[in-house]
This record gives sequence, C-alpha cells and structure tokens, in this order.
Amino acid sequence: MSAPHYDAVIVGGGVAGALVARVLSQAGRSVLILEAGIEGAMNPDTYRQYLQTLYTEGGVRGMPNGPYPWNAAAPSPGIPNAPEPYYTYDTPMQFMSDYLRMLGGTTLHWQGTSLRLVPNDFRMQTTYGQALDWPITYDDLEPAYRRAEAELGVAADVEDQRFFGVWFPEGYVYPMHRMPQSRVDQFFDAALTGKSVKLFGGNYPLKVISIPVARNSTPNPKYSLGEGYDAVPAVGDRDQGQRCQGNSVCMPLCPVQAKYSALKTIAVLARKPTVEIRTQCVASKLVIDPETGRITGVEYKHYEKPGGGKFRVETAHGTLVVLAANAIENTTLLLASNAANSSGQVGRNLMDHPYLYVWGYSPTPVYPFRGPDTTSGVESLRDGRFRQVHASFRASLANWGWSSEPGNQISLLLGQQTYGAALRRQLAHRMSRMVKIGFMFEQLPTPTNRVTIDPKHRDQLGNYKPVLSYSYADYSLEGIETAVKTVWPTIARFANVQDETVFVDPAPGGYQRVTYNGTGYNLMGSGHIVGTHRMGSSRKDSVTDRNMKAWDHPNLYVVGAGNQVTIGTANPTLTAAALSLRAADAMLRELR
Amino acid sequence: MSWTIESLREHLQAALAVEHATIPPYFTAWISLKDTTNVEAVEIIRSVMLEEMLHLTLAANLLNAVGGQPSLTHRGFVPRYPHRLPFSGDRFEINIERFSKRALETFLAIERPEGPRARPEARKFHTIAQFYAAVRDGIDELCEQLGEKTVFSGKSARQIQPEAYYAAGRLTVVADRDTAHQAIREISEQGEGAHDSVFDADQSICGEGREPAHYYRFLQLVKGRSYRTGDTPKSGPRGARIDVDFDAVYPIRANARAADYPRGSQLRGALEAFGHGYGQLLAALEAAFNGSPDRMTEGMARMFALRDQARALMQIPSGDGKTTVGLDFTPI
Repeated sequence: MSAPHYDAVIVGGGVAGALVARVLSQAGRSVLILEAGIEGAMNPDTYRQYLQTLYTEGGVRGMPNGPYPWNAAAPSPGIPNAPEPYYTYDTPMQFMSDYLRMLGGTTLHWQGTSLRLVPNDFRMQTTYGQALDWPITYDDLEPAYRRAEAELGVAADVEDQRFFGVWFPEGYVYPMHRMPQSRVDQFFDAALTGKSVKLFGGNYPLKVISIPVARNSTPNPKYSLGEGYDAVPAVGDRDQGQRCQGNSVCMPLCPVQAKYSALKTIAVLARKPTVEIRTQCVASKLVIDPETGRITGVEYKHYEKPGGGKFRVETAHGTLVVLAANAIENTTLLLASNAANSSGQVGRNLMDHPYLYVWGYSPTPVYPFRGPDTTSGVESLRDGRFRQVHASFRASLANWGWSSEPGNQISLLLGQQTYGAALRRQLAHRMSRMVKIGFMFEQLPTPTNRVTIDPKHRDQLGNYKPVLSYSYADYSLEGIETAVKTVWPTIARFANVQDETVFVDPAPGGYQRVTYNGTGYNLMGSGHIVGTHRMGSSRKDSVTDRNMKAWDHPNLYVVGAGNQVTIGTANPTLTAAALSLRAADAMLRELR
Repeated sequence: MSWTIESLREHLQAALAVEHATIPPYFTAWISLKDTTNVEAVEIIRSVMLEEMLHLTLAANLLNAVGGQPSLTHRGFVPRYPHRLPFSGDRFEINIERFSKRALETFLAIERPEGPRARPEARKFHTIAQFYAAVRDGIDELCEQLGEKTVFSGKSARQIQPEAYYAAGRLTVVADRDTAHQAIREISEQGEGAHDSVFDADQSICGEGREPAHYYRFLQLVKGRSYRTGDTPKSGPRGARIDVDFDAVYPIRANARAADYPRGSQLRGALEAFGHGYGQLLAALEAAFNGSPDRMTEGMARMFALRDQARALMQIPSGDGKTTVGLDFTPI
C-alpha cells in the first residue's frame, strides 16, 4: 500500500499552520498537519490540568511556558525544571524569548495583542535609510489583516487605530468592540491627553489608546455589513469564553478561553474530512529531488509516548510542503535539510522586541489587578523621523500593579512586624496606587543575530537543537535610552507618578543586563520571534518571495513571522496570521 | 378567561419572578462543587442556569414589548427559600442547598416535561408550560381584539439586544406577535424540549451539536451517562460515562440566613455583603430592563463578583463543626 498523497503537508499545528489548513480545506483540498508536540491543551481535561498547575504552583506563574511539561522528543525553550537547556549560544548575550511545541503552538501562551504594522514598517529603507523594504506594502497586506482579524476574533474600535497611515476600508469595523479600559488606563488618559514629548526635533503626542486584542468582548452588530460576529466559545464548552470575564489570568492560559488560541481553529479543522492532524510527529528532514529541487517528502519521527522514547521514521508526501513550525524551528529544519538557503539568509536576521518595565506610585488610587493584563497603550512613538537614528517603541499600560518587579513592597511588608489592620491599611495604600509601563523596542535585521545548527547539539530523537547568536545593536539601545531617560520621566511628570524604577544588578531571573552609555538596563524578551527566513524581492538577499514561497524550491512554502523583513513595533501574531492567509491564497492558485 | 393588556403584563411580570426563582438554587449548587472535580456536573448546572438567565431576559423583553415595566427590586421578588415554585402544583420545595442527590431530585422536578399540554383552567396552572401556553394564547387574543400595534406599544429602545447574551440560545428582540411567539418558544422548549425528544428544539447552533433539554441534561447526572444523538426519552442516555462525586462538594448550610448570626459578627457581615451585592445586581438589571441597557455591563461585573464572594462564603466554617456558611440571597 502506498502512503497517501496530500495536496499539502503542513509542518506545525500552531496559528500559521492552522490558518493555512483552514483556507486549503475550505477549498476542498486535502491537508496533513504534522505537529511535533503532543495533543496537550487540545483535550479540555488537559487544558484544565494546566490551568490547575498555574493556580497551585506559584513558581511557574510568571513563565510563559510555566504550566507545560518538558517533552524530550520535541523540547521547547523555557519549560520549568527542564533537565537540560534547549538553546545553546555562540554569544555572551542570550535570546530571552521562547515558544511552545504543542498542538496550538505559542498561542497557548500569547497575550492576544493584535496590532497591525504601520505602513513605514514595510519601507524602512525608502523612508528612513534603515534595514530593507518588504516586497509587499501595507496596502498589499491590508485585506489579509482583515481576514486575520476575523479568524482570531479581534476586539477594537477602528477610530482608535488610524495612525501613522494605518487605514481601513470605508465602513470597516472590527469583529468586536474594544475592551473596556481599566482605571489605570483612564488615569493615564486623563493625565496625558493633550500632552506631548519632544524627540528628534518633533513633538509626539502621548495619547493613550485602546489596544486591539484577540479576546472576546461584545460583538459589533455592524461587522461585515451588518451580519454581526459570533464570538467563538471555548473548545469543548460552548457556554464558556464568549466574553472576557476579567479573571486577570490571561497568560499563559485564559481560564475560560475568551482569548483566542489556535485550538479554536484546530477544533474546526478536526471536523473536516479532508484534514488529518498527526501529533507527536517531528519533521526532521525535507527530501529534495536533486534535479528539480522539488520537495518529494517530509521525513518525520513519530514517537509513541508523550515524553519521547521509541519512535518510527515515516515520510509524508504532498503536492505542496508548508513549513509553519515557528521562525526558529523552520530554520533548524531548513538547515538540517540543506534547503532554501542559496541566499545564505536562512537563520539570519533573528529579531525580537527587547522589553523593559518602569514603575511607580500614582498620586491617587487606580485599583490595579483587575481585568486583562493590558488594555491600553501609548502608540504615538511607533513611527517618526527619529527612526533614522534609533528604534521606535510602544508603551503598554500594565493593569496588574508591579507584579514581581524588584522593590515590590508586598514582600517587604510581609517581612516586617506589621499585622492585622495596620498591614491591611499599608497594603491597600500601596497596592491600589501601583502603576507600571512596559516599553517594547524595535530591532533592525542584523545578519549576525542568527540561528544555526551544530551536530554536537541534538535532542533525544537526534534532531538539531537551535544554536543562537544574539546581541542588541546601538539602534535599539538608543531607543531604550530615549524611552527611559526622556519619555518615561515626561509621562511620570504629567501624571504626577512617583518613579520607583530600579534596574537591580545583577539582573533578576528572566532579565538580561545591558549597559549603554554607562547606564545599566534589565531587558526581557517579548516572545516575538521574527525574521529568520525573510521574504524579499530578490532571491539574492531573501529566502522566500512575496507569497512566502521558497526561491529555491518549486513546491515549498515557509510561513509565519520568520518572513517578516522588519519587526516594527507590532506584536507579530496578527501579521504572521495575515501573511499565512496570503500565502494560502497563493497555494490555492497553484493547486488549481 | 378574558385578557386585558394589564393582565398580560401581570402574567409577564410573574414570568420574570418564576424564571428568576430557579437561579439562586442553580447558582448555589454550581458554586458548591469544588473546582476541577465533577467537571460534567459543573457544566450542566451552569449551562442550565445561564439559560434561565436568558429566559429572565426574554421575559423582560416580552414585558417591555407590551408596554410594561419589569420590576426586580420590589419586596418579595427574591423568594424566601424553601420556596414553592409558582405554577408547579405545589408539589415540591426548592432550597438553597449544596449539590446533592436531593438537590438533583428538585432540579428534575422543576424541569420535568409534562407531555401533551392540557388547556389551562382559568388562571390556574399546574405546569410552567401551561402558563406560557396561556400567555401565548393571551397575546393572540389581544392582537385579534385590539390589533398588533396596540398590544406591542413598547419602545424598541427598551429591548435588550442579542449581543448582551452569549451562551447557548438566542436573545430575541420582541417587536410583534411573531417575535413574541419566538421568545416564548425559546423559553419553553429550551427547558422542556421538543415534543417526545431529549433534545431542545434549537437546531441553529452550529458546531457542537444540540444539547439535551434541561430535564434530560440533569437526568444524565443521575444516570451517570450522557445522551448522544439518536437517544430518546425511552432509550435513556447511551453516550459516554459521567462520574459524579457527591463528596467533592462544600458542605454548606441549607437556606442560610444572615439573621442566624449575631448583629455585628463577621459571618453576618459577610452574608449581608453577599445579599447587598445580590440586591445591587438586581438593581442594575432592573435599570437595564427599564431603558438603560448599558447597565447590563455593570450587572455582569456584579455577577462575577458574586461568584467569587460565594466561593469564599462556602469555605468559611459556619461554627457548628460540620458545615460551612452558605448563601443568603435576600437583598439588603
């Protein structure tokens, strides 16, 4: 018996792969999804079990992959108590972001923020003489953004989101109304309305706006010319999750699944007769016809038990092969297969958003710790002439007080000899006034920030583990300095916030110390893994073309955030989703 | 009997009361189930409760459509439990009590389908289905006598819109005889099921298939097995097994009263705070049903706050060495 042949074999069951499968299967095409990880959270009982871990084991709370188990057969970075590190480094600096290899992918720990890139992010070279232009423009991607907003279920009001040339067609509304803004948001909004900051000879307003987010709020009856929108409930329980409940447990897992995860798309796929989903199947090599360059098969290791151990090597065949395994895993698979790399760009230009927190006390209570982790931001510094010399950035207003920031007075108070009513008073006085802002910075594509493989570093099944080289260029550091030394003090002054920020040395766990112009900063990653197989206009300096098809192979698509030429200052999932939908359209044209 | 607009409004106000009266007991049984155990029981009770909340809102839309003013804050709207449900032939009492076999028996009694509908005797109803059948006949009678426009004189701005409700079922905006019938059908069939079927009549829900009507949904917990497509009232449930652990429940006192504790005591304070919250919730809903639909959002926030307060109350010892405090819904 010969193995079945599919219209497309998709490597990776995260948001990118699931959306490609959705488009192809809607057109009646047959699809096989190979997922390296376990079924995991797709099973509602297991989802609940992960939630329980999150509730009961305080130590894993702040970790994006906190509730998830180590899987030696398909390891992920950032798993608590992992027996070995997954990343190895060629540089002293570490890459601070992780992803999850499990059905549903990294949407099992994402925040849900669904901002679009701004038009100048697509033409950084033309406008600011930095980086490269994309082979497509904002206008090219705009229709796909709308489709991604429907698939992910994005809540926002169009009026808030028109800035820096971001446009929407006449009459467009987001599927759902924007999330209600928290009291923290209202406090900053009142303090900053009409105020601005001077940067690089220009005046930039400090306007607080609501953040678009893939979280169920109230559907907008005007959506889709008055058809309205049905909020997608939890997988396995249609009575849960049609609205955010304000449980204040957004990451990694929403307790009621009001936040989108790829599980919701996969649940739809699982009912389609032309879609097959195989978990515990780690793609290890693309089989390439040396004559034509066609990918004739995807070799994968199918392991029997969730933790690894015994496995069989099998091969899947498809007219098209689609890599949708995340920017880093796509890279290791391409490098292991010696594929798609005639440009030498595979694995290069690895980007993330360096992330930094500042915090303080508001003059009057703002009652944090209610609602989603962030509902508003200052978006007015995401573009401007300063990008000729330093990174753009955005500021998220945090709703959960200082959380675990150093200097969080809760632990100090508990250590003192204060009890009862006096302790309650002090706690209430401090905690009700805690404000915190997260700054997220642009990185430029840098060839030396890269993912490579090394035969010395393999996992239990013999697959390559990523070897990373990473650093922060002055372009980003200059942006960080501007945010910390100019923008934050300006905000704090207008809002009358007492600055309590300290970048303690050495940096606490989860942070990395970076010194610039004599000042030390503690940086985190954002989990925004971007750029390792960028798209382009020329096969000389890019891995894929404008439709995310590999230049070197007639039937290979590589999808996801790895295609981004620049990172801008938008959290990348929405863009990755839009790009994947665009790529899927090209696949359909080819399969016709 | 002969209907007037006024008597129709009185009946619809009574419908509000009867739909509401089931919510505190369902809520209590749901919250009494300890987290992460009895997953099916949690889902079943919660889903029925959510549909009762839908029915309450549908009753408000009906009453508003005929020019009435829904009232949820008048004295006595929250019954004193144990309570005999109106229109149920006085056959059983409802208690505010923990999830148990006895509570399940009561829930089955509340939701029991009554078979072919007997015609109501003048203003005396033995079942809730009879009651709604009578209301429907009343609407028809009045429409024929006075004309549809006169009967449905309510302002459309007072209707709660579909996006305000988001669990299974539809929130119908009532504007005329047809939509009124639709709303009544939604109320009575979601509860008792389509004739001779386990499942409710709502086939519009795509995705996860139809749900058993309330009575059969609860029966699954008694039988320890779920219904699957093709099952009938005669066949009984033949689907997947359901494990019910009657011990994984907070041992709350039944029909607790704030007044059981001395004035000024912490326990009384905590119970009164819950009653106060419940009163605030009803006030927000009443405002939402009387021309300020935006107050629904506040109502929802209060529901979640009550859920968290209730969980806390169920874990506080009541002082008798055996039970925990329990809930008192009396508004303060």
